[in-house]
Amino acid sequence: MTESKGPTWNKTMKCEELLQYLSDYIDQELDEELTAEAQEHLATCHNCRVMLDTTQQTIFLFREQGKRAIPAARRQRLFDQLQDAFLARKTNPQK
Amino acid sequence: MLNEQELLAALRQGDAEAFTLLFETYSDKIYGLSVGLLENEAEAEGIVQETFLRFFERLDQFEGRSKISTWLYRVSYNASIDLLRQRKPHMSVGLVDDDTLPMPAVFVDWSQWPERLLSEDEVTAELDKAISALPEKYRAIFILREIEGLSTRETAQVTDLSVSAVKVRLHRARLLLRERLTESLITRTVEHSGTE
Repeated sequence: MTESKGPTWNKTMKCEELLQYLSDYIDQELDEELTAEAQEHLATCHNCRVMLDTTQQTIFLFREQGKRAIPAARRQRLFDQLQDAFLARKTNPQK
Repeated sequence: MLNEQELLAALRQGDAEAFTLLFETYSDKIYGLSVGLLENEAEAEGIVQETFLRFFERLDQFEGRSKISTWLYRVSYNASIDLLRQRKPHMSVGLVDDDTLPMPAVFVDWSQWPERLLSEDEVTAELDKAISALPEKYRAIFILREIEGLSTRETAQVTDLSVSAVKVRLHRARLLLRERLTESLITRTVEHSGTE
């Protein structure tokens, strides 16, 4: 594991600018020019590479393990209650 | 697999299989948003129930201008926010975003984490803690966009925000969660090295 001090400055894109554009960069929503500037900055700035990598890993972890499901026993009870309510409603086959 | 119009038609005819499909497709999604916002399983189950019952009431008038999922998310989001406002009358989830961008303070790579240091359950617990610490206005956006997989536009429709506001909040949420998880990593690493 590596740890270093705060942001550095780069002659093309500053760390603060990279930070501002980070989500757009991850989501591939930056235009070509800004993407190239961001890549140039990332090639030389360790901290911003760590920011990019750890932000992407954060997103990945939540996508993989962040979903919550209704606990099984209560899910069945909820299904039964809602099914009863659904079947009891007056149907309208005209629509 | 039925398309939305076919599903709506079957539901209007009282088709029990269509109800099962509706419930299986959307109940956990609605629950995921509500329990993430409310952090209360019983209240989140109540929101799921309320959302489906309202959908049944509106079924004959539902014109399909929005997707079923967007409508269900929107109703459950609003109901969850109403409950949160009862708990915290001064809570802000509105349009104004005057917070500055959270500046990262910790630049640690995660090459030794989480696989080596934490079990899957421990990672899940850290994710829960991290997302609980987010302000509600960021939490809703992050859950919808990243965990439930909605597009930015769909997230904006559900929350009644502009696309640009959704992007700003998503960005802040990502940075705050990254910082929080990195801090957890450091704490866990110190604990781990202390046991060796």
